[in-house]
Amino acid sequence: MIWVTWRQHRAQILVTAGLLALLGVVLLGSAVEASRYVAEHAPPGCPGPAVACGDLAAALGQRYDAVYSVFGWMPLVAPALIGAFWGAPLLGREYERGTHRLAWTQSVPVRRWLAVKLSVLGGAVAAGGLLLSLMVSLWRPVFREGIDSTFGNIGVFNMVGVEPAAWWLYAFALGTLAGTLFRRTLPAMALVVAGVAVTMFTLFQVSDHYAEPVRTELSGTVLLDDPDARLVRAAWVEPSGREVAEPARSGCPRGVDVGRSARSTEAWQACLFGTGYRYAVYHHPPSRFWRFQWTEAGILALASAAFGGLSVRRVLRRPG
Amino acid sequence: MRPALEATGLGVRHRRTWALRDCSLSVPAGRVAALVGPNGAGKTTLMHAAVGLLRPALGSVRVAGAAAFVAQDKPLYESFTVAEMLAFGRRMNTRWDDAAAAGRLAGLGIPLRRRVSGLSGGQQAQVAVTLALAGRPDLLVLDEPLANLDPLARHDVMRSILGEAAGRELTVLLSSHVVSDLADTCDWLIVLNGGRLQVSGDIEELLDDHLVLTGPGEASAAGTRVVAASRTGRQAGLLVRGGPPLDPRWRARRPGLDELVMGYLRSPDSAALPHLTRAGA
Repeated sequence: MIWVTWRQHRAQILVTAGLLALLGVVLLGSAVEASRYVAEHAPPGCPGPAVACGDLAAALGQRYDAVYSVFGWMPLVAPALIGAFWGAPLLGREYERGTHRLAWTQSVPVRRWLAVKLSVLGGAVAAGGLLLSLMVSLWRPVFREGIDSTFGNIGVFNMVGVEPAAWWLYAFALGTLAGTLFRRTLPAMALVVAGVAVTMFTLFQVSDHYAEPVRTELSGTVLLDDPDARLVRAAWVEPSGREVAEPARSGCPRGVDVGRSARSTEAWQACLFGTGYRYAVYHHPPSRFWRFQWTEAGILALASAAFGGLSVRRVLRRPG
Repeated sequence: MRPALEATGLGVRHRRTWALRDCSLSVPAGRVAALVGPNGAGKTTLMHAAVGLLRPALGSVRVAGAAAFVAQDKPLYESFTVAEMLAFGRRMNTRWDDAAAAGRLAGLGIPLRRRVSGLSGGQQAQVAVTLALAGRPDLLVLDEPLANLDPLARHDVMRSILGEAAGRELTVLLSSHVVSDLADTCDWLIVLNGGRLQVSGDIEELLDDHLVLTGPGEASAAGTRVVAASRTGRQAGLLVRGGPPLDPRWRARRPGLDELVMGYLRSPDSAALPHLTRAGA
């Protein structure tokens, strides 16, 4: 049964492994090149917050952006591809070609066929996701150590920790279920792509509620000094302590900014702070990284289990 | 003798409609049974229920021992080589006769290294049948094994199946809607019509038990049970069971297999089922 699984799905397994290996080579090369550059060009004490480190930071930033643009699309596209090429054909192609009637009339029971396929391929998908996460986690600090963590940017957040494994598994399970529903590969692939996109958008909206946001009151500035926090919302606090979305009757003139200038807005904000207003920012600090990782992974894992269970139920109910 | 295939009160529903209703039959071991009926009669449904691809809504179907199945379109994995299809069978079955399978394919001149997609329709059918036989089944179920094959391939496939069946204790159940394909090869007949079982019995006994009568339209069929009647002008033609008839104006002869099948298919209310056969004989 393991051999059968390998023989039927080796194309997907090899292509996925090849792409991951290619990405690994690119990341390794870029990290090695950046380390050499740092060793040759870094002034003493750099990289770090010192003023002298500015040029180095800019050079590293350029290198980071160049590589990131190569695989920055992965959080959305990789799960969609996994779902379309690992999940959708798993049962969809068997039904489409009629080979389910061959596979499920041998002495291996259907139940075991499903168990082996789902666990072996699901395991491989999760392992692939973890490998991606590991590579990105090793590569990123070379460029971003001390600048930001992997929490604030949702795209980066979805590529580290347990997120890729959870997303890939989710897409695989969704594709498998879609294959049993349509009994054809192509519509199942389309459903997976749409489903992954919708899920990602939904979880992005929901993720603000994974924990109660922290409230920080600012005076003199509207910018939180932690650039890596996830902002949920912000409000002005009147001198009386009441929170309002828009300050009314503050007596501060609010001019119109022209072009890219923000001078009028800044003057207005400075006036508000001068009259006793404060600015409340609700946000999630980067220390919540693992809490958010496990919450989202838990949601995705539960959904994957439900999809897998539904697929098995549908198949066992009417295998022919 | 223990039946190789036994169905009792079998009912299978597709959504709201019954694909198969109240079907009770048993096929003795070692028989080559022909399952005939028009399209939509429930042939495929009965076969799928027998090999476990369908769960019956009512009743049960039992196979003594292991069953192998070749579905209508003879599905194989197209990207596999023939050798890989054999490896598939070896790994998916507890009983497996690799030497017999390889020998059979060699005898048919089917190269093991060739991809399944590169084989002709007849060769694909032969590979599918070889896979089914290599699992050493007690019952071989073939859904329209001859459909989409040219006459030469039909003959080859049929001959090789019968060769295997004769060589050991193997029961074969095969469906077809072309009765002439089955006349020389099968010794048991099952007729399904509109989801109901009409006939199940030994072909020779069935033919011995029926008469085709031709005579004047007003002649009486007393002494027989009329299965089907047709009239051309003042002449009447009857397929009857039992007999001979009391009315001397009839000319009687033994029916052919296709006459018998057609007679029953034209009269869905008639039936010739095992308990009736025994009672009438």
